[in-house]
Amino acid sequence: MIRLYDYVLSASCYKIRLMAALLCVKLEHEAVDFHPGRAHKSAAFAQLNPAGTLPVLVDGDLILTESTAMLVYLAQLSGRDWLGPCDPKSAAQVQHWLAFSGRLAASLGMARLHDMLLYEGDIDAWRAQGHAALRELEAALSERRFAGGVWLVGDAPSIADIACFPNVALSQDGGVSLDAYPSVRLWTRAIRALDRFVEMPGIHRLHELRPAPEVA
Amino acid sequence: MTQRWTATGLSQDLPKAVAMAGHWQGHDLAVWRSASGRLQAWNDRCPHRGMRLSHGFVRGETLACIYHGWVYGADGGCKHIPAHPALTPPATIRVAAFACVEQDGVIWVAPAETVGAPVALRGLQPLRSISLTCDVVAVRLAEPALSGDDVLRGLVQIGGQACEVCLLVQHGASGLTLHALCAVGADRIAASRWLEDLRRRAERKGAA
Repeated sequence: MIRLYDYVLSASCYKIRLMAALLCVKLEHEAVDFHPGRAHKSAAFAQLNPAGTLPVLVDGDLILTESTAMLVYLAQLSGRDWLGPCDPKSAAQVQHWLAFSGRLAASLGMARLHDMLLYEGDIDAWRAQGHAALRELEAALSERRFAGGVWLVGDAPSIADIACFPNVALSQDGGVSLDAYPSVRLWTRAIRALDRFVEMPGIHRLHELRPAPEVA
Repeated sequence: MTQRWTATGLSQDLPKAVAMAGHWQGHDLAVWRSASGRLQAWNDRCPHRGMRLSHGFVRGETLACIYHGWVYGADGGCKHIPAHPALTPPATIRVAAFACVEQDGVIWVAPAETVGAPVALRGLQPLRSISLTCDVVAVRLAEPALSGDDVLRGLVQIGGQACEVCLLVQHGASGLTLHALCAVGADRIAASRWLEDLRRRAERKGAA
């Protein structure tokens, strides 16, 4: 079974849990005490991932330490539709958004780690970089909407959407509001409306999609 | 008193059964559309614990707070408290409503007692809402073809063609928002790129 070294509050770990859920792939979860234990920085963990980052995905002798590579691996194994269309333009656009998701992690993600887990750094710069990235995402998604689209690439959700979704949906944890980004908000709703969508703390499902619970 | 109407969003950005944040002159609003399409703008504060109702969720013709699930009906009155399912909530638990109308693809809000209609915008289609870190003066400096204060209008060059645009100005706690419209039939992708470029130039003017 594929094993995920996991931390429940990590946006990047959630990215893999979400992808696996959407693909109906069962993962074996190994919880890592990221905070406050900093177990990902331990000598033992360095044997698995010298960079000391989460998540880590292990399948037999394959060890992946970059979340975008994990998305590609899971989609190649269990749902190639999620790789996006394979024409040259679309394939390049998927790569663009996989790389762009790194910018989201380095800005919105760091702002959230600062506010939630006491990371030290330039919070104003992280938030400003986060807004700059959200402006780019908003412009791209608006253009997609003008063309009748919903997703970042093609006519169906892909690993591009899943790569970018967590840090955007969690941006308010880092003090960055999505109020000014209507197309981004509607896109996050579309992802949360997907069959088999799973939650994490800070990202709830769309309650309105299910009937109100009956009270006995 | 038609000038009291403020654009707070575009219809295309608020589908049925969705809530979003809006504001009118410093008042935070929860603007939401019911499952049947009914549009409302309320004070963005749940009477229970003060949570923003714009974070809430729409079920049918009601808006529920995300915090403890208190349910508010079309008149703003609390209809149901999940923790006390047998209780009929007292009529005093009520969210204050603002006037809210939709015209030309724009969502306009004003205080409840406001009469009259917002300015009519004929021949224009909604484009996008964008936020800026500069003021309106910087926007006019960046694009001298635009004139006006609350409604910036003008004929600008988009993709090598003259195109009428209209920018509805909204002042908020976090800065300036422009709700942009462009001539019906104009290429909205080209117009959106023009708008992005205008924002970059205006913010440079504003910082200078």
